[in-house]
Amino acid sequence: MEHNPGKYRTDLWIDWCPGCGNFGILASEIKALEELNLEPSKIAIVSGIGCSAKIIHYINANGVHSLHGRAIPFAIGIKLVRPDLTVIVNGGDGDLLGIGAGHFVALGRRNLQMTIILHDNRVYGLTKGQAAPTLPLGVKTKALAIPNIYTDINPIALAISSGYTFVARAYAFDSEHLKEIIKKAIMHRGVSLVDVLQPCVTFNDIHTADYFKKKIYKLEDEGWDPVVRDPKDIEEKALNAIRKSFEEEKIPVGIFYENSLLPTYEERLKNVIKSYPSISPGTTKIEVNGKSIFDRKLFESVFSDFIIDTE
Amino acid sequence: MNDEINIILGGPQGGGIDTSMSVIVRGLGRSGYGVIAEREYFSNIAGRHSYAHIRIKSSEIPLSIRYPVQLLASLDAETIFVHYKDVEEGGILIYNKSDEEKKLSEIVSLEESIREKISKELEEKGISDKVSSLLSFLENERKIKLVSFNYNEILRRIAEMHKLPLSYMSRYLSSILVGAVWSVLELNLDDLMYSYSIQFKGRSDRVQHNIELVKEVGKIVKTNNAHIKLEPGKLKGSKRLIVSGNDIVAIGKIVGGERFESYYPITPAVDECLLLERLAYSKFQDNNLGNLLVLQTEDEIAAATSAIGAALAGVRSSTSTSGPGFDLMAESISFAGMNEVPLVITFYQRAGPSTGMATRGGQGDLFTAIFSGHGEFARVVLSSGDHTEAFYDAIEAFNIAEKYQLPVIHLLDKFLANTLSVIPIPELEKVSIERGIIVNDTKNYKRFDLSSLISPRAFIGSNSVMWYTGDEHDEIGHISEDPENRKKMYEKRIKKLELVSKETPEDKKLSIYGSENFDFLLLGWGSVKGASVEAIKELKSEGMNGAYINVKMLWPFPSEEVKKYLKISEDIIAIDYTYDSLISKLVKMSSGINIEKSIVKYNGRPITIDEVKKSIKLILEKREKRVVLEHGA
Repeated sequence: MEHNPGKYRTDLWIDWCPGCGNFGILASEIKALEELNLEPSKIAIVSGIGCSAKIIHYINANGVHSLHGRAIPFAIGIKLVRPDLTVIVNGGDGDLLGIGAGHFVALGRRNLQMTIILHDNRVYGLTKGQAAPTLPLGVKTKALAIPNIYTDINPIALAISSGYTFVARAYAFDSEHLKEIIKKAIMHRGVSLVDVLQPCVTFNDIHTADYFKKKIYKLEDEGWDPVVRDPKDIEEKALNAIRKSFEEEKIPVGIFYENSLLPTYEERLKNVIKSYPSISPGTTKIEVNGKSIFDRKLFESVFSDFIIDTE
Repeated sequence: MNDEINIILGGPQGGGIDTSMSVIVRGLGRSGYGVIAEREYFSNIAGRHSYAHIRIKSSEIPLSIRYPVQLLASLDAETIFVHYKDVEEGGILIYNKSDEEKKLSEIVSLEESIREKISKELEEKGISDKVSSLLSFLENERKIKLVSFNYNEILRRIAEMHKLPLSYMSRYLSSILVGAVWSVLELNLDDLMYSYSIQFKGRSDRVQHNIELVKEVGKIVKTNNAHIKLEPGKLKGSKRLIVSGNDIVAIGKIVGGERFESYYPITPAVDECLLLERLAYSKFQDNNLGNLLVLQTEDEIAAATSAIGAALAGVRSSTSTSGPGFDLMAESISFAGMNEVPLVITFYQRAGPSTGMATRGGQGDLFTAIFSGHGEFARVVLSSGDHTEAFYDAIEAFNIAEKYQLPVIHLLDKFLANTLSVIPIPELEKVSIERGIIVNDTKNYKRFDLSSLISPRAFIGSNSVMWYTGDEHDEIGHISEDPENRKKMYEKRIKKLELVSKETPEDKKLSIYGSENFDFLLLGWGSVKGASVEAIKELKSEGMNGAYINVKMLWPFPSEEVKKYLKISEDIIAIDYTYDSLISKLVKMSSGINIEKSIVKYNGRPITIDEVKKSIKLILEKREKRVVLEHGA
């Protein structure tokens, strides 16, 4: 486990179980921020609830440890009013794909420039190992009374079908590879998902480090080309990526799909509000010496549709 | 000559009642009249009965509606059946000649129970179930002047004149009602032209067609000699606003510096957001105001949480909703309480529980607003009694939220939201923007610094780094379960409420109307104000000496201030749109005073001046303890 006590790491004791995949994610995320040389005060990391959510306290950047399942809309609020900030969401599989699935899907439609890092350990760790939405049907982890009776959600397929324009999978303990993917995800113009496979040493005795070590291979090693270069290739690239994401015998990691041709939400807004995002709601003045910037003249101009002149 | 006229315009939803209402109100406003217009409609897009109840005063701005009306203008037979009793003896009824042969049993859009009720009434009066039979009863027994003509014929005439397709003419139906009002009141056509040109901006052809239609209707009204003398409008000489409750809250928010609004569409909140969206896209950039973002979210949870995110990044942000949506926001309110976030929720109550009657009114959410969310923490609940108050309160909500760093709920209701009113342009010099203690650049910034009750606030994106968590936290914002820290943080969050109580001036907590030396006292909140204030005023001229207390700050409840007034009077009557007189319960809980008499209404329909007057008399003269109001269609 790489420990990085530099500019981007707080000095707090870490709550996770020894051997938890979250350590790998933390180290890679910190390294990515460092290598991108982002200013901590211009980063906002938003999490939901669960083991994954505590990550914000260990990173020296603005952190919001929000509500279960709601990290995405918190992050959207921040990003929209301060589009100059780098906004990253960290959430577990239960957080983002269970209770927060609606927000996960809705974000795809918006293609807002932000990064979702999905801590995918397939169980609910903080509440003693219930099946998360990514746990396959019929699998019995040790906390379950009977084998899982739900089918699993494939985060890659869901993200691509929801409109995410950068979709990748990585492994928590391949820190270098994960870091590179997080960097690319952050730099991507649009919404990005990094689905991070991660062992839960306490509650998931099936998807262990050994399990992943044997199964994982890298997409780039087989020459996978995720990039959409022509609008007419979008459907084919997306379908191929989805098909690829269902491979089970061997688990592919790397960038599945990358489409920079779709306008971001910021760009779409610019079409209707010309000054956005160069002028952001978070940096405009709303008062002058404690008074509203609205004087009678401005009021009559902005609200002219509601004014009648009885002269 | 009358100083006041009351009118009902009725017809099927989608038939143009809304348009007629705003054209009429704007035109009247232009002529110098004070107008208020309340809107009732089913939760339905097209076909169900809907109506506008308009009250016009020539010498002042009316605050509420009144029964009976002097003019009923109907687009369909259903309106006649539903509202015939609302017309004053000697009043005027304008209707479509082709509705004469319609029968009560043939009106499919009518609810069965309402049909049975009307049928029984007609039977008792010896009227058959045909419109024509009811009309001759109204003409002979109630001396109501009937004015009829074939609506389609007039539309056809206009269509032929301008070579318009007949199918196109249904959109002009609303002008028959406008024509009825304009001609009966013998109003100035120039002012109507002005109103139409705003309604159909850039569509001079439509303005012209509508005016011609109004003139056609006018000729018929004239031959029937159906007129009501209304004194000239005396409010001339200045600019005024014509706004619904939704409109004025949106306007208040913008003047107050709102820069982010999130919402999930819900009646009756959505019109506010639609207006904000429209202004954000059109007017903001033209006036160099920066950016206002309006975000339609996937649900109310996302609406509240994205508003919190925006507030953390330093903008005045808000979300608007009604009961069902507000319930979903409860967890967010708790988070905002824990993290001292200035979140503003505009809460337009409607008639619950559950989906209840989505387009009707009520105030059953008083305690939901005050107690929503888990755990103990400070929040402020404000309520507005009328359009003008709503403007200042929308701004005050942001000021309180930012000054004290807590969630503020601005509680309104459907009646105010959907009522159109002519009001003076707000006094902008009175508007202050108080953002509280803000810092931009501090080394070792502590977001939850315990050295003062209100910690200096830095925004995410400023030069400081900060942490927020819904968990109990230390001064930095990191998770802490230390019992000593817990106690301090817990107290800090709750004690702000005392500060709000102490620092808020009395006139922002309540307002009082009527005699200073009153013999009886009416106490209520929200849109009950209009009918109450006007009833008290009218009772005064009948020798009854009363006052009305309008409670504006519902939480923290202004116990001391209210006690002062309640002690003076033995006859205290609470009034609101609930079953349990919730405002009495709040007064008792907060001040220990038991208000034993109440006027309540919970059928989803608005309280009117005549109802309040009547029930005050029942309570004071007949010693009734609880009067349940029932009027409404």
